[in-house]
Amino acid sequence: METSRSAGLEAGAEPVRRAPSVLTRFLRSRSAVAGAILLGAWIFVAIAAPLLAPYDPTETVALARRPPTAAHWFGTDLLGRDLFSRVLFGSRISLQLGLISVALGALPGIALGLVAGYYAGLIDTLVSRFVDALLAFPSILLALVVIAALGPSIQNVMIAVGVASVPQYARLVRGSVLAIKQLPYVEAARVIGAPSLRVMWRHVLTNAYAPVLVLSTLQIGNAILVGSGLSFLGLGAQPPIPEWGLMSAEGREVLQRAWWISTFPGLAILSVVVASNLLGDGMRSAFDPKMRM
Amino acid sequence: MPASSASMTRYILGRILQLVPVLWLISTIIFVVMHMLPGDPAELMLAGAEGGAITPERLAELKREMGLDDPLLVQYMRFLANAAIGDLGSSVRFRLPVSELIADRFGSTLALSLCGLAISVAVGVPLGMIAAMRQNSAADAFTMALSYVGASMPVYWLGLLLILFFSFNLGWFPPAGADDWRSLVLPSTTIGLVAAGLIARLVRSSMIEVLREDYIRTGHAKGLSAATVLWRHGLKNAMIPVITMIGLQFGGMLAGAVVTETVFSRPGVGRLVVNAILAKDYPLVQGCVIFLAFVYLAVNLVVDIAYAWLDPRIRYGR
Repeated sequence: METSRSAGLEAGAEPVRRAPSVLTRFLRSRSAVAGAILLGAWIFVAIAAPLLAPYDPTETVALARRPPTAAHWFGTDLLGRDLFSRVLFGSRISLQLGLISVALGALPGIALGLVAGYYAGLIDTLVSRFVDALLAFPSILLALVVIAALGPSIQNVMIAVGVASVPQYARLVRGSVLAIKQLPYVEAARVIGAPSLRVMWRHVLTNAYAPVLVLSTLQIGNAILVGSGLSFLGLGAQPPIPEWGLMSAEGREVLQRAWWISTFPGLAILSVVVASNLLGDGMRSAFDPKMRM
Repeated sequence: MPASSASMTRYILGRILQLVPVLWLISTIIFVVMHMLPGDPAELMLAGAEGGAITPERLAELKREMGLDDPLLVQYMRFLANAAIGDLGSSVRFRLPVSELIADRFGSTLALSLCGLAISVAVGVPLGMIAAMRQNSAADAFTMALSYVGASMPVYWLGLLLILFFSFNLGWFPPAGADDWRSLVLPSTTIGLVAAGLIARLVRSSMIEVLREDYIRTGHAKGLSAATVLWRHGLKNAMIPVITMIGLQFGGMLAGAVVTETVFSRPGVGRLVVNAILAKDYPLVQGCVIFLAFVYLAVNLVVDIAYAWLDPRIRYGR
């Protein structure tokens, strides 16, 4: 780089500019940085919840259905529990839900897409047909079927939401693999006799990580949204877990008299989901503005 | 043009044929998942659906009725054969055919989705157009921020906020029920607004692309009024990708009315599924989900056909 730059200067031309790195492009986007900070703040809250929360999230500490006051910033819920503490602890449940369900969807999805794209032929046809069928099916229905079979619980919501996102990963990775497979360095690796698994892992997958990372970031928000919706329906987290969707459902019956019980948990979900979407969109434009999801 | 109409017919037939394997695969996946249940399904169903008292007689009766003693493969073949003629089995809890239960409630879900769709288009298309025409202005930024928040908002939470404001504070609309048109306003606004954000974003990007086309400049150059260029040439072409999105949203609303129907206590198919899951009424869950998947696919089929009709390139396409 140094030589080319000085050569350019000697010729009296503009110095040769390198294209800005992915990180530079990311940092230039205000909304992406805002998303990263907001999500980072929620992660901090989730880790430090026991230190930050003024009260035990599952214990009755005051009269029920008290409006927000200096002692109880978000008021108290149906059982007199401190809503602020419950919302803080709720971040643990929701972020876990987001991360675990993303992992549960991404790992099998990546494997399926990789195998289908790399081997092509019959395997690809079978996997692609299967994936297309699942994609032709609203993921909320798939999640409902899984919950119906496994029973309502927060763990099963993670499984359901994860399973429902498998086809998206499979399709995305397959597409990337098909493009990367054609590149000379993959061919070179195969020519020198590298085993298939090694080629797939070292040369194909490591170069397909960008879209997977973007999809996963967006999927965290989506998983939290869908998961909290299932909990709202009574199909996810069960009382007394401080889960945001469940808390909103608990406040629904007393909405007229105690608006805060449903309102604050919903606001928390909104901010986490906005953060993960901003971060994901920012990463997408930093990696490649034309990337398709 | 006979050639064109023949290609259209061929396209439609082809798309319908493609639907068959997808439906088969989806039904099979649902069947398999629903039969992976741990424990005796008959016992679970009786405990869940009929609450408590499980007599051996009732257990045996249910197993015989549902053919649960047959090998799984026999059950599967029977399930497929019945589903193919529209027989989705019987609900354990209601002791009625699943198809009858769905037929009673589908009207409510359909009304909700249609009104939601109308609201999403009425809000989303103009917002997207304003944002596209005033690109990078404050109005554009505001519209896009709004649509971003809309897409990140829990549906049930938006519904609760609307109830809080328009039912409890202003008293304009009832917070629940399905009696008259007034009870339809808040639920359809809820699902409509969430979809409106997505539609606005797509209209904006599609419109910006179209406004850069040569034929738009030609329109301006030959002295057409700005409105004619915008409406006749701009919007019409910008709407092609939007139509697909609207169709997908409609299918999604029908299938995803689950949450909205719960918030507003509406007796729709979505509410039926949720209650069936809670009551472990497995045949009802299975039947409703297959039905909703079928409706979703059928809506997408109609959208694809409309798309091919609007844009002839698709029919001959790759």
